[in-house]
Parts: sequence; structure tokens; C-alpha cells
Amino acid sequence: MAGFVDLYTEADTFLHRMDPRVKIFAVLLLSLLALVLSNLYYLLILLAFIFLLLFLARATFSHTMFALKFVLRFMALIIILWPIFDPSGTPMLASLGPIKITEPAIWRGFTSAARVGCLATVWYILMFTTSQRDLVRALVKMGLRFDFGLTLAISLRFLPTFSALIDSIKDAQRARGLELSKGGLLKISRNYVAILVPTIVAALRTADALSLALQSRAYGARADRTYLRDLKMRVSDGIALGVLVAAFVLPVLAKYAFNVKL
Amino acid sequence: MEDGEGEMIPATPMLPREEKIISIHGLRFTYEGGVVALRDINLDISSGEYLAIVGGNGSGKTTLAKNINGLLRPTSGEVVVGGRSLSGRTVADIARTIGYAFQNPDHQLFCSTVEEEVRFGPANLGYPEGEIVKKVRRAIEAMNLESHRKTPPLSMRLGERRRVSIASVIAMDPEVLILDEPTTGLDAQESSELLAKLRRLNEEGKTIILITHDMKLVAEHAKRVVVMSQGRVLLDSDPRGAFSDPELLRQSNLEPPPVALLAHKLSELGIPKDVISPEELVFQIMRERGGP
Repeated sequence: MAGFVDLYTEADTFLHRMDPRVKIFAVLLLSLLALVLSNLYYLLILLAFIFLLLFLARATFSHTMFALKFVLRFMALIIILWPIFDPSGTPMLASLGPIKITEPAIWRGFTSAARVGCLATVWYILMFTTSQRDLVRALVKMGLRFDFGLTLAISLRFLPTFSALIDSIKDAQRARGLELSKGGLLKISRNYVAILVPTIVAALRTADALSLALQSRAYGARADRTYLRDLKMRVSDGIALGVLVAAFVLPVLAKYAFNVKL
Repeated sequence: MEDGEGEMIPATPMLPREEKIISIHGLRFTYEGGVVALRDINLDISSGEYLAIVGGNGSGKTTLAKNINGLLRPTSGEVVVGGRSLSGRTVADIARTIGYAFQNPDHQLFCSTVEEEVRFGPANLGYPEGEIVKKVRRAIEAMNLESHRKTPPLSMRLGERRRVSIASVIAMDPEVLILDEPTTGLDAQESSELLAKLRRLNEEGKTIILITHDMKLVAEHAKRVVVMSQGRVLLDSDPRGAFSDPELLRQSNLEPPPVALLAHKLSELGIPKDVISPEELVFQIMRERGGP
């Protein structure tokens, strides 16, 4: 459960060390690039490039498959459904009543699936190589108000905690003979009161303790915050940024300025 | 390993000692992420026993307890409760035999009065109204909550909330009562009061399983100790046997009670190593010095 909420995995690769701002920017560029490219082969090259990055970030196969499980199902669905609902183009391969299966539609299905694959994987790399703290730090550095950043960080931090809490409360009530899914709709919703009340009470207690902890560490004592850890662009970050901008700008220029079919 | 029990006073004279209420064979449990929590556990618990499962954090004691009441299902092996295998039985069905009081009482309290809270369990199990009233009264009396019948549980102190949560489990009238760290957050007096109440329940014939890492508690109350470490049972004996080997306890990240450690330090002077109570240590020292 916790692994699903936070995909970050500790490691020491150049992608883990990269300035999170560069990473956020890079992910945005690569996502745009995936939307700009409309040729299956170029999309597959982009996908290969993204998987190369994933490999360099030392993502294990099982970890990646677990994280991308839903995306893979979604991609399979696109490949199956696209030709059924898109009757345009020739040659037609098969038809059944109003449903026409055409060859270009099949390719379009694969193209869209590859695009979704690129988008999902590139964001996965960001989540995989950047801790939530670094992400929030980068957002604050890029102009997000600090208290919003802190709120975001705290909510992300407590998602797995609350998911574990709810599991524990469910177990405790089941041990008292509560059968959650038994009975009619009214009975089932009444059953959930036994889960909901302890959860809300625990959430309020946690929030209370948290605000005390923040105050005891002088949160908000001065308006101009200082930072223990500041983000700094290094040479390697600059190079990475340059390479990615080139990887984005060159194909986009080729497509829109020189009308190369991409 | 059960030989050690012979010299102890049987907890419940009314019940035959050999009646196995819980029987665990070759139990293995692996969590979803692949963490092996229990490796090949074999354990027989007789009706009326007062047993402590001890071990450091992550030794598998809570996982074992959750396998006994069906919240977790064995990866392999079998758990038999009351002569019937647990596989295919619902948690609610098992709850008639195995009562489980969770470590944090706030995870189960949700009603607006103590009485309603204690009613919740037996009402879920579908007992007739007259029976529910009787069981609720008995549970409230067992935990000394008579004056708190109409009090909202959430406004009570931690020690009282824990008693409410235990009463709400007792009310289901299970033969076995599992208590997960029941003394956490209680002061000395609240602890000893709670344990006196548990002892009375044990004398009335309930099987008590205490999950804890408080060795003093174990030395004073349990009649049998199961020491766990890394998902295995390291030792299964009476408290005397368990504390005569501090090295073994250390392997399980446990510290023997101070009196047992002192007895060990004094063993060169002829004090036996298996002393578990201060009174006994005083007696042994007196005897060593040739009487008072």
C-alpha cells in the first residue's frame, strides 16, 4: 500500500541527484514531445529513450511493472478498442454490421497506446527518482507559497499512515464480529459508522498533535523563511537541461518550421 | 516443551488440561510485499492457559495472533481452533471463540455510551436480546465499569478506554482472550488493576494470551511463555525457564526483568538462576546466609 502512494526509491544515480526543478521541466518537455509526435516509430524511439533513462535510474523490472500495471491495462484497452470505434481509412480488413476494422485505425491505436506509455513512464521516472520532499522543495523554489507546499508535503506524508490506520480499524471491528459487506444498503452504510468514527477521531487527534509539533518548532516565527537545504543548479544539471531542450526543440522545429512529417 | 507445566498449579481445575483450544501446525505467513513474518510455527494451547507471547518489535507476535483469529490467513500450514480448522470460516464466526483486544483502544471505540460500545460485539454475533443484556452486564462488571455505563468512551482516560475495549471483547464471551500490549500507556496502578482482572478471568476458565514485551508483566502473571524472534518460536516454557537464559532473550531483543538479571549476577554466590520474583530472591539470599 505504502509503495503505491510513494513510488520514490532511494538510490544514487545521476537522475536521483539531478536538481528536481530540472527534472520537473524535463518531464514537462518530454510529455509535450510525446503529444507533438504522431508517428508510431518516432514515439517508439522516444519510449526507448525513456526506458533507457529508467534503466539508468536502476529501476527494477518488478517495481516498474507494479507501478505501471494500470497503465499497461489501459494501453491494451486502447489497442483493442481504437480500431472498433474508428472506421476511417482504407484498406478495410474486416467488417461486422456497422463495425469496420481498417488498417490505419489499428496503427492509430498502437500510436495512441505508445503515447500514453511515454506519458506514464516519464512521470513515473520523476516520482521514482525524486522524493516528495524534493518535489515540494522544487515547487516552493519555483514560486509556490511555502505554507501550500508544506500542506502538500504533509498530506502526501500522511496518506500511507491513514491507509494503515483504516486497515487497523477495520481489523479491530471485524474482530468484534462486524461484517462490512453483509446486509442491505442501509445496513452496510450503518456498518461503516464503526470504521468512520474512529478514523475521524484519530485524524483530529493527529492534526492536533501535528499543529502542536509545528508550533513547538517555531513554525511561522518569521515571515521570511530561511532554508537549511537550498537547491542549486550544478554544471551537470545545466548540461542535462541543454540536452533535453535540444531533444524537444529540434523535432518540434523540424515538424512545424520545416514541415517534416514526424 | 509442555513438560514444564507439570509442576505448576493448573489454572482451571474445572477444565481438563489436555483439551486443546488452539492448535497450530507448520504455520508460515508471508506479507504481500514478500516479507516472511512467520516461519514454521507449531504451537498447542490448552483451554484455561495463561500464555504470554513475547518478542521484540517485528518478531511476528502480532502476525501470529492475527492468524489465530482469522484476520490474516496462513500462507501455508493450518490453524485449528476449538477442533475446527479456520480455513473457510469468517472472522465473525471465529470471534465467537477468539476475542482480540487491539493495542490501541481508540481503533475500536465509536459509540456514544460505554454500554452501547460493549453491546456492539454480542449484537453482531446475533445473540438473543436477553443473552446480550446478560453478557454486557457481566463484561462491564468484569472490567469495573458499572459507574461508567452512560459515559461516552471517547471522553474517558486511556486506562479506562482500554478497559472499555477489553470489556467489549469479553462481552462476546469468547473462550480465548488475546490482548495486544494491554498495558501500553497505563501507569503502574492501572496496569496492576487490569492484570488482576485478567487473572480473575483466567481463574474463571478463560484462556488468556498476552502479547507483550514487558518482561516484568510476564514474570508475574503468565504461566507459559512463548519467545519469538524473526518469525520463529525460540523458546516455549514456563517463565522460570524463559528467564534462566538471558542470552536467548537478548537474541529476541528482550530484557529479562531486573530481578532475574540480579539473580544471574548473584549466581556465583549460590543463588539459583531461575528466580523470577523479588520475594523469592530475598528468600534465596536469606537461605544462603543461613536464615534470618
